[in-house]
Amino acid sequence: MNQRTFLGTSLGMALLAVVVLAAPAGAVQFSLAHGANGRCLDCHSKPDLGTIIVNGVRKSLTVAEDVWHASVHSRQDCTACHAGFQPREHTAEEKDGWYEQAKLTACSDCHADQFIMYSGSFHGNVVMREHDQRAPSCGDCHGSHGIIGTKSPGFRASVLHMCGRCHEEKAGTYLDTYHGKAFRMGETSTAVCTDCHGSHSILPQSNPNSTVSKQNVASTCGKCHEHASAKFASFLVHVDPSSPKSNIWVWSMGMSHGLLIAGLFCFGGLHCFMYFYRGLREGLYSRGEH
Amino acid sequence: MASIETDIQGEAAALEPAPTAVQAAVPVRMQYRRFTPFQRWVHFFIMCSFTVLVFTGMPLKYSDQGWAQWEMGLLGGVQSAGIIHRFAALIMVTCVLCMLGFFARILIKTRGHFWGPGSMAPARKDLQDMIGMFGWFWGKGRPQLQLDRYSYWEKFEFWAASAGVMIMCVTGSMMWYPQLTTRIFPGIVLNFAIVNHSGGALLAMGFVFVFWHFFHAHLRPEVFPMDKTMFDGGLPVDEYAHERPLEYERRVREGTLRNVLVPERSPSRRKVENVLWWTITSAALVVWAAFSLFVVWVASFWIGSF
Repeated sequence: MNQRTFLGTSLGMALLAVVVLAAPAGAVQFSLAHGANGRCLDCHSKPDLGTIIVNGVRKSLTVAEDVWHASVHSRQDCTACHAGFQPREHTAEEKDGWYEQAKLTACSDCHADQFIMYSGSFHGNVVMREHDQRAPSCGDCHGSHGIIGTKSPGFRASVLHMCGRCHEEKAGTYLDTYHGKAFRMGETSTAVCTDCHGSHSILPQSNPNSTVSKQNVASTCGKCHEHASAKFASFLVHVDPSSPKSNIWVWSMGMSHGLLIAGLFCFGGLHCFMYFYRGLREGLYSRGEH
Repeated sequence: MASIETDIQGEAAALEPAPTAVQAAVPVRMQYRRFTPFQRWVHFFIMCSFTVLVFTGMPLKYSDQGWAQWEMGLLGGVQSAGIIHRFAALIMVTCVLCMLGFFARILIKTRGHFWGPGSMAPARKDLQDMIGMFGWFWGKGRPQLQLDRYSYWEKFEFWAASAGVMIMCVTGSMMWYPQLTTRIFPGIVLNFAIVNHSGGALLAMGFVFVFWHFFHAHLRPEVFPMDKTMFDGGLPVDEYAHERPLEYERRVREGTLRNVLVPERSPSRRKVENVLWWTITSAALVVWAAFSLFVVWVASFWIGSF
């Protein structure tokens, strides 16, 4: 037995011993399985870890492992965002004020471009300058532990819900359009909120730089609808035919149609039913009568 | 019905001036041809395309409903439903164009026929017939309607359906080619098109399946369970003379009865056709029942929205 063989065998035996001895020790096994984040998940994968209130919303302290592993950040360290957190029961020093600090900076460290766009947007302005926490920051749209690619069908399917949390009425009128109907039927390639309004740099329609401003809306439609003109883009997307306040002309047309339908159905229904009824009463349905 | 027999024999003799020995041995029974093959085929294609259009369009109109999502899955999603819908629409448009050509031909060839008696044009008599029928519904005596070629309920259906199909074709094309449409019109016209197409679809569906067409073609006591003339083309002359006396009398008077007399179908062909009719009739009754429920359901949330 030469020296190299001996070294190899010893190493192999040692490794085997470590694995065999370590196997029953749950904690060590967990750490091996989870890599660098294992020590966090030792605690945070437990389902009964309790909850915490962040920004007025009750959140679970448990991190769903499968969701985390499916996310685009599954190879990142927990501490990349949860900076300064130590693998033990967290102190007040670590926790206090972390969320307020991290909800923007945790992302901006890597996603500087998006952060700059966001800080110039309507939402970013409300959050960062007016300090109104009702407007969304990164995590409100992207989530935290389960972030997935924004081009994925799963993300696109969730857009309406997250915008609709605040813009409920607009979500309703969207669902009345062909885009919305197709979306509801599971077609995620159809236009969702962000396709027209943009995402990080959303601006109100009144702002000339907005994707839906008078100046830009035609080219925004043109992303999908070739040769879309300004007249094409003057189609009323967010219109509620059942409300006269939304658009009086569309409402009038819908209402007159409704009355026409009701009138014709009543007339037809009466004619058919009474014809049938009289026919039955006078025995016209029995053979050879007519 | 001796007079009818005489009429037919006279006309048949005029049709076949020199019957051969074989024809004399097997007398050919003649029947009254109500609809030409052209009219029957147009009806057939409109029937098929209309059904497909309803089936592919309704789930989009009621996209928030569970059944609609299930049905859309059955159709393979909105994109494939859209393709099927447009294909059926093309068939419908072709039928409409054929009909327009048909009317143009009538207008050019026989000017008077377009408006005169026996035409589709509404007349004072139709209103009187209708008032008489409503009187019967109300409890007065049953009027003995002296119908011409088309009754008031047929004329009403024809004009309602014509207006409807025009609106559906125009608004549908607008939505099919929105860029082209907005080259001429402002964008709000597309909003109008959507409202009209959607409302018109419900109107057409209710009108055909529940409130008008199916009733008059299947459930009317005179024709229950099915008026076969639109598929078969004809009916026995005595029946026709009884159903549409004015038309019959005019043809006898003008000597044009021969134009609409055709040999009766052979028994074997009748057998095949009977199977087809009963299939259509049972399908129609199922659809009628289903859509009656559907209309009750629509009406319930329509009323509930107030």
